[in-house]
Amino acid sequence: MYGRRASQLLKEQSSCEEGQLTPFDQGAFDEVIKECDEHNNKLQSSIRKIEEQSLDIQTTRNEDHFGAVIHHLSLIRNKRCLMAYMYNRAEVIQGYKWKNIGRLLPQEIQKKLNYSEQEYFKNHSAAVDSYINELDLDLTVDMVPPKDPYIRVRVLDEIGDEVSLGDRAVSLTKDSLHFLRRTDAEPYISQGLMEEFLE
Amino acid sequence: MASSWDEEFGSAGPTEEEAGSDVELLKRAWRNEKASPEILQFQSELIRRVHEQIQLQEERVEEFVNDKMDDLVVSLHQMDLDRTQYLLKSYLRIRLHKIEKYMFHISKTDLLNRLSEQEQIFTQRCIEIMEKHLHQSVLSKLPYGYQSVTKQSISSEEDDMVPAPELDTFVFCKTKSAVGAFQLDEMGDEIVDLVADDLYVLRYKSIKGLVENGQIDLI
Repeated sequence: MYGRRASQLLKEQSSCEEGQLTPFDQGAFDEVIKECDEHNNKLQSSIRKIEEQSLDIQTTRNEDHFGAVIHHLSLIRNKRCLMAYMYNRAEVIQGYKWKNIGRLLPQEIQKKLNYSEQEYFKNHSAAVDSYINELDLDLTVDMVPPKDPYIRVRVLDEIGDEVSLGDRAVSLTKDSLHFLRRTDAEPYISQGLMEEFLE
Repeated sequence: MASSWDEEFGSAGPTEEEAGSDVELLKRAWRNEKASPEILQFQSELIRRVHEQIQLQEERVEEFVNDKMDDLVVSLHQMDLDRTQYLLKSYLRIRLHKIEKYMFHISKTDLLNRLSEQEQIFTQRCIEIMEKHLHQSVLSKLPYGYQSVTKQSISSEEDDMVPAPELDTFVFCKTKSAVGAFQLDEMGDEIVDLVADDLYVLRYKSIKGLVENGQIDLI
């Protein structure tokens, strides 16, 4: 059945949670591309048959014409599915930049992307960074409305022994508690290295 | 808090006196941008002023700290500063997200004129990298005649693969001044009487023009 593989590909992607990605399914992707090629071949040969019979392409309505239409429509449906798959994944990748994951994606995410998507992440990050530098405003901090200028945090992972925050040097060892300025703590919190201590 | 800060800086421009301080204007621009499905006109003058004021305020806070002013007062000023910073950054972020989502649509319509210069550069870059990515992974492998990013095939008459914002969504809005009898759609079927300071839930498409003129605010 035409288009089934492509819709399976999309179902895979939609079955996972918002903002997450499944590993890039190169196998299914290639199969859909192959299907498109077959459609194209059949389409071209139908058109040739019409031409060989010296009939007018625009107005002939015989079985070759309808066959060609079916192949054309299946082809563009496959194209739409593939584009939707890539575009959707690209949107999730755009989101990674805003979650402040850092310059390099963690290994578990890198594994799920194909080569082009890894390139895309780098280029997109660079585009956002370039805009941020133009404005001289770091848009990746202050992601939530401020309630208190200072918050209590607990360090989840070892960050460092003499980290300088503002004008003080703080020792950010694992499981230590601190009372920091929110703007200083925010990058660590969004990377998951610290958590806010709520009473 | 905001009003005492304004007295010191004499903020709002001469024509904006009734509208309130710049922070109020920023809050309004931020709310409108958040609620609107499409990108709105960039408020370049307002943003420039707010940016300057934030920088001045940051310097003042540093001075206070150096002068060993009372901690409570310093943190109140800091809070005020943080809140304005948040509004400014959130406003810019919301716009960037809309650009990321609708880059092709924006670049092909006159919505491009609503963007600031840096946003236009960002849009252009986004389009370049997206086209490169799509071309590399999908389009170059498809047969000739099906390789366009925005058209399904060369037989499509217009760009049929461009995601566009959903203008039919309902939005909550509040009128600022009386508008009177207002026609909701082209067919002239529904006419709504819009009085001042009233809350309405309408389709964005119908009130688009009023939002642009500042007669209605989105909530």
